[in-house]
Amino acid sequence: MTLFQAEKVEKVFPGVRALDRVDLALEAGSVHALLGENGAGKSTLIKVITGLYRPDGGRLLLDGREVSFGSPHESASAGIGVVHQERNLIPGFTVGENILLQKLPTSRGLVDRAAIRSEASRWLAELELDIDPDQPVTELSVAQAQLVEIAKALSIESRVLLLDEPTASITPNESALLFRVVDKLKNDGRAVLFVSHKLEEVFQICDTVTVLRDGASVLSGGALSDLTRDQVVDLMVGRTHEALSLPPRAVDRDVAPILELAGVSTATGHVDVDLAVRPGEIVGLYGLVGAGRSELAKALLGLDRITAGEVRVRGSAVRIRNVRDALRNYKIGYVTENRKEEGVFLEQSVSRNIAVTIWDRLRKALGYVPAKEETSTVATYVEQLGIRIASPAQHAGTLSGGNQQKVSLAKWLAAQTEILIIDEPTVGIDVRTKDAFHTLIWDLAANGLAILLITSDLPEMITLADRVVVMRDHAVQGELPNDHDYDRMSQQVIRLIHAEGTTAA
Amino acid sequence: MRRFARSTEMTLLAICVVFFVFLVIASKGDLVSANSLRVLLQFLAVPVLIGLAQMVVLAVGQLNLAVGAIGGFASAAMGVLMADHGVPVPLALLIGFLLAAAAGLVNGVLVVLTRINGFIVTLATMTVLLGVQYRLVGTRTVDAYPQGLKDFGSFALFGVLPLIFIVALIVAGALSVLLRRTVPGRQLLASGGNPIAARLSGISNDRSVIIAHTLSGAVLGVAAILTVASSPGVNKSIGGDWLLPSFAAPIIGGALLTGGSVVVLGTVLAAFIVRFVDTARAEFSLEPSWVNFVVGAVVLGSVVLGQVRTRRQQRRTVVKAPDATVAGGVS
Repeated sequence: MTLFQAEKVEKVFPGVRALDRVDLALEAGSVHALLGENGAGKSTLIKVITGLYRPDGGRLLLDGREVSFGSPHESASAGIGVVHQERNLIPGFTVGENILLQKLPTSRGLVDRAAIRSEASRWLAELELDIDPDQPVTELSVAQAQLVEIAKALSIESRVLLLDEPTASITPNESALLFRVVDKLKNDGRAVLFVSHKLEEVFQICDTVTVLRDGASVLSGGALSDLTRDQVVDLMVGRTHEALSLPPRAVDRDVAPILELAGVSTATGHVDVDLAVRPGEIVGLYGLVGAGRSELAKALLGLDRITAGEVRVRGSAVRIRNVRDALRNYKIGYVTENRKEEGVFLEQSVSRNIAVTIWDRLRKALGYVPAKEETSTVATYVEQLGIRIASPAQHAGTLSGGNQQKVSLAKWLAAQTEILIIDEPTVGIDVRTKDAFHTLIWDLAANGLAILLITSDLPEMITLADRVVVMRDHAVQGELPNDHDYDRMSQQVIRLIHAEGTTAA
Repeated sequence: MRRFARSTEMTLLAICVVFFVFLVIASKGDLVSANSLRVLLQFLAVPVLIGLAQMVVLAVGQLNLAVGAIGGFASAAMGVLMADHGVPVPLALLIGFLLAAAAGLVNGVLVVLTRINGFIVTLATMTVLLGVQYRLVGTRTVDAYPQGLKDFGSFALFGVLPLIFIVALIVAGALSVLLRRTVPGRQLLASGGNPIAARLSGISNDRSVIIAHTLSGAVLGVAAILTVASSPGVNKSIGGDWLLPSFAAPIIGGALLTGGSVVVLGTVLAAFIVRFVDTARAEFSLEPSWVNFVVGAVVLGSVVLGQVRTRRQQRRTVVKAPDATVAGGVS
């Protein structure tokens, strides 16, 4: 039975047809995947369904009756629950209050705490979650917070549930819990829309699929059992997508490592970490989210304290105080995983974004930075990385995710770093741009850069890394030479991660 | 968060007690005399209220620079109505209270309608109201209002508990219930804690902002009434020294400057501490300027302390779930 339907929905923004006669049908008791590259219109579609945007054409049907929502509140009242990509919990509130925020129960004018507790417990139990409704949400893990949001979306008695990239920030272990919940929702007869970039997940838990490309639904409601992974990718990118294969690159094993960690322990909980990266080598640091990889990078850069052990750069023991120190004295750069928050200045021009690391080098007397040199350096890297911009004066915030990431990378190249720590370079970046990025990173290594690549994307790791270092619980679990055979490598890596006992979730 | 708040309150209570004992010893027991206690509490009523007036605005993630101007303007209006126009006391007080609440409402509506930062809006209304206050009283001190009101202002239960202090505590209690237990109060805190999440949950952030500013004005209206009742007269300088204490109390009390978390009891206790600083100043006959110096330093210190604590708390959760990006965070 079709619970919800979008028919020929259109949404036009100045200069862009964001949605072009999109069809979507959600069946009761079924999980429907919504796929598409970045910018294909997934988020716009969700915003139209939930009433954040008004459609410019087409119609929405709930239970076969035409509906029109003026605000998220109206769609919620109609029984459409949403879990947005961004976390949407109120930090100072308890789990229960957050779940029932949309309709806090009252008795005689006052918020009824007992009712909150029992009502919230009901929804938590519905999802078979063992979370105390009185617990402050700040104490939850990311995955728990995610599940609490699902409980919140359910609490409005929703029959249609939209999940926008619910697994983007949680570990595979935690995803399993989420999938169980999704399964339960499905068996209870709800209609679930599941947006994800991870095809493995989609094939695992979804029944049908709609693929958006450039705002149009190129496939609407196809059964996933009739499709292969490659077919889905082809639909998304609109051409036959060939798996990227990079030529092998010889790493001189006799060259002394440029960056070495010996028995390093940190204030954030790392114990006795050994690691070495040679010039021209890509060392992959793999592990589940929470294994302490980014934290290790941050400790390396002096952002967190190193409590024991030694860091050696070009053979001599060093104590890096901060990012500035790392860059100026050791030529180490760090491309952050949080591109929007830490990687680029969204309100500043591309030019400034790239030049931020080189002002110190270019400055003349009184701190004057000659515009000409700045422009030419920026132009070099815009071209080298293929950053698509109308002009260097364009604000970074107006660029696509992939181009922003390139800007984030460009500033470190401009600074002529020799050691580059790259953290989750392709999160939330579409398939085509991803390949371009991989080629780029590969080229950098071929040109002699030492690269420490942190990624949770196993195919990415196996495509790029020369060696894979597996971390778990803030310690190195093992190291594998990469033979670029996906099946064998992925098995070995996963086995290492789960070598003994279970990982902390 | 609640546990954190509670620990802040415990710390403040401990500081209060220690400070008080210290002052009692320093004054050789004089401070525990009925008269000294009465004076201490008498001068606490208004600081508690102006702290609360700032606190409700902080709760929604805004600030109110016009606390002193609203209070001063309302006081002046009440004084002039009674002394120059012979308006009966209850009516004059009611009008003054409503004017203060209306000023808060205007602040809120302006912030919402213009989308201009509350800092600028309240800075502007502050200037406007200071002008009005001066227009009303000029350079005179208006004190020709009925003795009955002054009696109310100086009356103390059992000779120790000033009536106006009790009024301040009642307002504090009411605010506490409002923020903790009523839907508008919870919505106000939700808007302050994470406006996006609040909006997606069907909460109107605009309404929360307007409610917060109006409440602030109303609390200042009460503060103005108590000021008129307990001061010898009303002049242009009333409210002029309210700004720093208005921030000091909620911030020392454990409010988050980013909104979403405030502590009523903490704010009240912090007002005590600020008052104790003043008492100590008098006790050791130091220059009055020292009070501002110390209070400013304490405010700075509590902000830093709060930051450190938040960071430590985050680090703890970091070990548990490193990539934690819980809604807006507690920073």
